[in-house]
Amino acid sequence: MLPENITSVVSRNEIWTGKAASEPHEAGWAREAVIFVRALKEPKGPQPVARVEISPDGMRWVAEGAAAAMPAGRDGIAVMRVSHFGNWLRVAADFADGCESTVLVTMHLKA
Amino acid sequence: MTTSQPTNEMAEALRLALLRADPKLSRFDPLPRIISHDEFSNGHCGWSQLVGNYEDDLDTMLPGYAQHTGTMLSTLSHWDSGSHGGMGSSYALKVATRPRKGAQNVAIKRHTFRHRGRIRFEVYFTFKPEASELKLSETDVRSVGFLFDLQAGDHDKGGERVMPHLRFLNALDGEHVQKWQFKRQTTAFKPVGSGDKTLSHYHLAPEGWEDLPGGEQRLCYNEISTKVNWTYLRFDFDLETMKALDFQCNDRRFDMTAFESIRIPAMKNLWCMLNFCLFAETDTDKRAFLYVDSACISGDF
Repeated sequence: MLPENITSVVSRNEIWTGKAASEPHEAGWAREAVIFVRALKEPKGPQPVARVEISPDGMRWVAEGAAAAMPAGRDGIAVMRVSHFGNWLRVAADFADGCESTVLVTMHLKA
Repeated sequence: MTTSQPTNEMAEALRLALLRADPKLSRFDPLPRIISHDEFSNGHCGWSQLVGNYEDDLDTMLPGYAQHTGTMLSTLSHWDSGSHGGMGSSYALKVATRPRKGAQNVAIKRHTFRHRGRIRFEVYFTFKPEASELKLSETDVRSVGFLFDLQAGDHDKGGERVMPHLRFLNALDGEHVQKWQFKRQTTAFKPVGSGDKTLSHYHLAPEGWEDLPGGEQRLCYNEISTKVNWTYLRFDFDLETMKALDFQCNDRRFDMTAFESIRIPAMKNLWCMLNFCLFAETDTDKRAFLYVDSACISGDF
């Protein structure tokens, strides 16, 4: 059997402001993840650096180390690659007041 | 020749013997033709995110659909006890809501049918809220349930789109209700986008649920929020008459005489549609999780 390989849309057309994060995603079966964050609309204000976060329980989160600048313009794409992440994954970013981005976050997971 | 009946009986006996000797299928009672048998150590098996319709701009998607997220392969990992695992493997399908009272999420498997007859939907499932409090939390999940989305073939007279819905209303506004409900009404169809090709309706809106007569049932809800037990469910539906035939959950079988489906005029592009959905809904600002260990969909053809 071929190894599992899934594209999961974890945030679609969500407006990220303040302390933003994608919903917790369980992917313990996957050995690697490539995560794309696409700006669906023109971002407002200076854009923060997005980071991959991992978790022991899906509720408490720590930075994994992978990070990328949020897209500066519409249809810009940030990409982060991770492995050795245990079970839980999400993407988080902290936006300054008045700043936002409407995002499409996709996780590409491979066993 | 008068051998057809004995031959059929022998064939059926052989079929049942083979099923019951197979550890993976023996827990199900499939009809003669297995359409799909999903064990989630094999992957997502086609259970994907129910995405709403849209045109030109994702902003046109109805809010009920916009909240949906993708399914996961879960080991039911808990902070206090580690991975719970499934019945026959470490993995189950997970459908998780967002942490907002009333939030829903829906997984869908999309097929078409080749024969209008009896079909059977069997799953082993369980549900729990996110274990974010050291409490039993038995009233935090509002409901879990399933629906079919069906439409007659393009040459069938009087064809309709038919959507049988059943949910286990576990709790509502903090009250531990525990009963099965069905739905015969959907919300109005709305055009989305600037053209006239795309319509949308949110059939899982909170309004319009009706109690299944005799549908009260207390399920096993283990003693802390990180212990789960798998529950068996079976629903039989006739694609010929578009009527529910039978419904069983664990040791209880329910009278489906009063059951009705959502019925709407056939749509121009959904012929022979055979879709299956599983959903979860939260009653608090806490994520609700529906887990499915395995599913078997079969037909009498």
